[in-house]
Amino acid sequence: MDFKYSLGLYLIAGAVILFVLAQSIFFLVKAFKQGRALGLDKSKLRNAITSSALFTIPSALSILATIIALVPALGPVIPWVRLSVIGNLMYETTAAEAAMEAFGHQGGMAVPVEDPKVYAGIAWVMTLGICFSLVVLPFLAKPLHKKFLAAGKKKEEPTAEATEATPADGKKKRSLNGFINDFATPAIFIGLIGAFIARAIIGGGKPETFGDGAGVLSIITLVVAVVVSIALELLAKKLKLTWLEPFVMPIGMIIAMIAAIIFFNVLPEDIAMFEWRG
Amino acid sequence: MAKNKNNKPYIDRVHSWGRISTITALCALLMFPVAICLYLDVFPSINGILSGLLKLIPTYWTVAVVEVIVYTPMLGAGGTYLSFVTGNIANLKLPCAINAMEGADVKANSEEGEVVSTIAIATSSIVTTIILAIGVIIFAPFLQSFSDNELLKPAFAQVLPALFGALGAGYFIKHWRISFFPIIIMIIVLVFAPTMGASTLLFVGIVASVGGALFMYKKGMLDRVK
Repeated sequence: MDFKYSLGLYLIAGAVILFVLAQSIFFLVKAFKQGRALGLDKSKLRNAITSSALFTIPSALSILATIIALVPALGPVIPWVRLSVIGNLMYETTAAEAAMEAFGHQGGMAVPVEDPKVYAGIAWVMTLGICFSLVVLPFLAKPLHKKFLAAGKKKEEPTAEATEATPADGKKKRSLNGFINDFATPAIFIGLIGAFIARAIIGGGKPETFGDGAGVLSIITLVVAVVVSIALELLAKKLKLTWLEPFVMPIGMIIAMIAAIIFFNVLPEDIAMFEWRG
Repeated sequence: MAKNKNNKPYIDRVHSWGRISTITALCALLMFPVAICLYLDVFPSINGILSGLLKLIPTYWTVAVVEVIVYTPMLGAGGTYLSFVTGNIANLKLPCAINAMEGADVKANSEEGEVVSTIAIATSSIVTTIILAIGVIIFAPFLQSFSDNELLKPAFAQVLPALFGALGAGYFIKHWRISFFPIIIMIIVLVFAPTMGASTLLFVGIVASVGGALFMYKKGMLDRVK
């Protein structure tokens, strides 16, 4: 039997993953209780859970697809742990390739790793390469987060409020705290979302990887996702379908992915696969 | 700010739990290659490990620090600790938190936002972990044929446009005034550097977006928007 599929390796991975699961459950329970203590509606909190779960399914399936892509070379266990803990859709393939190259594994992802020593070496490189954020997080997260919260609170204080008031000359003063409180977060989110939208419109990719660069299919998917989400949102508002609101984005996303499959099969191959930036 | 019996604010308790769980997760993660070596009774060459790491560290470790700085204010305290342990932040955890905060109509820099963001990210982490576990354990024998499934390939190849299109739609309509400038800047950047890495582009996008919005705010162009 191939050592990469042995029960022992599955158990090692399972132990690491159980820890991650326990941590998430712990934080979920604590946050839910705190939400109730703050007076947030139970239905609001439940909606956040339902919507997040649905929102996650398509992405989780695409992460599973990344694991699957790594399985032929590495077996299921290393990709499983790497993509369940810290892992990222984009980083892990690169990390695995760098590790294989360092251990002289010929043929990259297309050729299975047969030497246990190389296999263990790849596990070390992929783990050490990605773990640095967990080293710096305990030192940086608290001061960064406190600063952000303080900026948001300052506006509530009377002194900061005064800076927002309209003075006698009629010119409104616009303080930095006011900006941080009202626009900084949306601006940051727009920067983030916009980066991925810009990539779908005009970003380049690896020529050998289908779907990596912007092209006909990425634009179609993007447009369908936008149109369906807006249509559903309007529908939910007009018909007062509050139950539909948490589902708008997940449904928009799933329909856009289905549209990608349909258009890929309906359009002529050279058009469906056309990517203008490679 | 809500306090518990010991008079410690919720946020401080979250940071204590977060720090402990992050350090424990780091130890658990590092035990993974150790356990593999012990189980297979092998130890790879240090030179091989170092040579592989040299290719990754300059980028990955720099990105790690940048990501902690960029994401922490957006994810909230609990969300940050959870997201960095479970990964897939930009493409899953953050959009999920934004979606939940929008849905619940709470601000990221409020305690309500902190709670909703943590709930969203914890749910997302649990769902992802369960789907991956089921996928790997139950479908392991069929994984290969699934990965070769030609029908599903276009859907998985376009997961990011689908995700950010669906998320961006409502967001851009609500904040259209501050949306044009950063998107135009990023499109111009990509015209000249089409393969720019996601993290770098993200940084450019956030700087352009915050800078543009601050300029508009100072000029009074956002006075009627809140």
